Amino acid sequence: MPAPTDGKRTILIVDDSAMNRALLADMIGSDYDIVEAENGLQGVAAMQKLGTTISLVLLDIVMPEMDGFEVLAVMNQNRWIRDIPVIMVSSETAPSCIERAYEFGVTDFISRPFDANIVRRRVNNTIMLYAKQKALVGMVADQIYEREKANNLMVSILSHIVEFRNGESGLHVLHVATMTELLLNQVVKKTDRYGLTPADISRIAMASSLHDIGKISIPDAVLNKPGRLTDDEFDLMKTHTVIGAGMLADVPVHQDDPLVRTAYEICRWHHERYDGRGYPDGLEGDDIPISAQAVSLADVYDALTSKRVYKDAYPHEQALAMIMNGECGTFNPFLLECLTDIADDIQAQLQLESFSQGSEREIMKIVDDAVSPGSTEASSRTLELLDYERMKYRFFASMSNELQYEYTEDPPMAVLSDWGVRKLGLPEIIQTPYQDPALLRMFGADNMQKLHDALRATTPEDPVVQMEFEALVEDEPRWFQVTAHANWSPDDHVYLGSIGKMVDIHEHHERLMDLERKATHDSLTGLLNHAYARKVIQERMELNPDHTFVFIVLDMDRFKDVNDTYGHLFGDRVLHHLAQRLEGSVRGNDMVARVGGDEFFVCMECSVPPEPLVKRVFDSVTGTYDGLDVSVSMGVACATGEGHSYDELFRSADHALYEMKGAGRGGFAFSDGLLSADEARSVLSAIDAEAAAEPAPADR
Amino acid sequence: MSLETCYAALGGDLEGVRGRMLNDERVVKFIGIFAEDPCYGNLRAALDDGNLPEAFRAAHTLKGISRDLGFTPLCEVSSTLADVLRPDDAGVPAGPLEKVPELMDRMEDAYTATMDAIAII
Repeated sequence: MPAPTDGKRTILIVDDSAMNRALLADMIGSDYDIVEAENGLQGVAAMQKLGTTISLVLLDIVMPEMDGFEVLAVMNQNRWIRDIPVIMVSSETAPSCIERAYEFGVTDFISRPFDANIVRRRVNNTIMLYAKQKALVGMVADQIYEREKANNLMVSILSHIVEFRNGESGLHVLHVATMTELLLNQVVKKTDRYGLTPADISRIAMASSLHDIGKISIPDAVLNKPGRLTDDEFDLMKTHTVIGAGMLADVPVHQDDPLVRTAYEICRWHHERYDGRGYPDGLEGDDIPISAQAVSLADVYDALTSKRVYKDAYPHEQALAMIMNGECGTFNPFLLECLTDIADDIQAQLQLESFSQGSEREIMKIVDDAVSPGSTEASSRTLELLDYERMKYRFFASMSNELQYEYTEDPPMAVLSDWGVRKLGLPEIIQTPYQDPALLRMFGADNMQKLHDALRATTPEDPVVQMEFEALVEDEPRWFQVTAHANWSPDDHVYLGSIGKMVDIHEHHERLMDLERKATHDSLTGLLNHAYARKVIQERMELNPDHTFVFIVLDMDRFKDVNDTYGHLFGDRVLHHLAQRLEGSVRGNDMVARVGGDEFFVCMECSVPPEPLVKRVFDSVTGTYDGLDVSVSMGVACATGEGHSYDELFRSADHALYEMKGAGRGGFAFSDGLLSADEARSVLSAIDAEAAAEPAPADR
Repeated sequence: MSLETCYAALGGDLEGVRGRMLNDERVVKFIGIFAEDPCYGNLRAALDDGNLPEAFRAAHTLKGISRDLGFTPLCEVSSTLADVLRPDDAGVPAGPLEKVPELMDRMEDAYTATMDAIAII
């Protein structure tokens, strides 16, 4: 299903009969690119992949896997049905069936038998209609955007003129607008008493910038007087409300424009008080328009928190307290409640806001609201952006050496990237992937389950899961690293599915394993190295404080002579031989390590008297190798896990070894510093007696 | 013209097909595709397996494509069969299923007659 590139529009035909698809395609003719899907599931996958590059879907009803109605349900759920028209093609003629299809939002119905003229005309009409509608929506959006931008620009120029005269920073109008909007958004969250739409709120916020335009006619000496105003001066100051309103009422045209009317309300009444004691008209309660009430409150808050010629700035908390205590006028108690609700928001927002961001955000919202009234669904413009993003994603996905996937829970379906399809030989679309035999075989049921569980255990705040596992690729085990992101629905936090990638990290992993092996093993003999063996034994001793550990340190007698006589290569071979014999003489759980040179040690956990074990080790390494008599000396020390430290054990055994060397080589000696062989035996029999006295635990 | 002979032999509606398909080349092309279409075989196989949902879909497809090509007798019998096999909301066929063997006999006759007639072209 390659995406078309020749500029033709694309039609998706979803029908399980190949002959039907061929017939429809033949009748539609070569003016369109045809993409075919042989069941509903493939149809949905095609839509997911091609998005609104599909101009029309011809949809059959009766199909295996997923029928036409289920496809329509998915299209509704994802809101594709708004932008991709669907014509049903079916030999179903039951009215209930047709009605149901229309309820699902299909545009038209072509009944059987197919008539070439009808098919062609319906297809053309539907596509033209939708294309025209899309173009119109785009044009309207552009116009509104331009108009709102111009409006906003003029409003901000006007209000800034006032502010500069006022000696204010220019931020005041912006703060009032932001806060008015926040307040009113909170109002509509709590009540529909004021009947405010999102467009109303945007308009009020914009008009709020004009609240003080009347001040342009107030003399400088009064406007910027640092001290207290006289009564006359204050009366003069008060006229800015009526003057501002008058300016707007005198605007020669646009008197019916909602923006002008709202600005009039705000200019005239933003100094009214809820108790009727404000000016200029002494309006009371909700006789004051909600727009003016909100701006009034925002104005007071910002005045309190800003520095003015006659006062310093109050901090946020103090300003709020002053407003709540009624020190700055009387406000609608409900509005004060809203102010309390959004107190934290206000502080954050006012700090963040820059003017251009604010207005841009405002305009985008207005455009969105106007283009899709009463809904928050994506406009076709955003869908186009989405299509572009999808194309970009597919391009990068095809170049990266990893399997990328998108998984949706409903319908349970995974769509894999091209690379995954090519390299791993998996299908592009996998239905119910968690039960799919090929996937389960490749990645292992356990791993799939682990991923499944891990994704569901994430949260919307922390949705990413990373794990490594081995997968079977062409019957060869290879290591993969999977990084996946769970998708949670934004409102009710329902698990919707996941996106992710699986990267083949096999070579990398191999190198790591190899390094790890090198770090823990002796390169000559392949035995554990001393440092690593020490660490493991210490852990074991800690875990099993009552077990008895038998320590053997051994070295080859007169190894230096062997090197000197036969050369180092031969010496190395002897060491290798010795290592193998040692390993062969102990049990799987025992540890054999090379300490260095010709010195080795063996550590065994032992629940029986140790001499036979020690003797077995001694006998297995003593003998001849390639004509050479091999003789070793061994020192042995025994201790319980808690009795002595590793280092004590090692030293004691080492000490016993040197005693043995001194006593004539070619034998083994027990250390008498720690537990002697006899003592070890008696500790063991005491443990046995205890174990016999206690009732045996069921599964030990 | 062999199309006339063919449709007369199978009792089909040639005039209707010509009206819908607009030209004879298309009629002949899709009769060729019909002859290769697996849905009659699918129908038989599904009934043999007792897979009634699949049998319904096959009968339903057969009804659709035979109607497109104006194969009236085949269309009628597959339509009746599809109605008998049509699953309700719970997936249970409408029935009566006792009629299926007899309908399949008629189906075979109609299908054979249609294929024989197609062979004329």
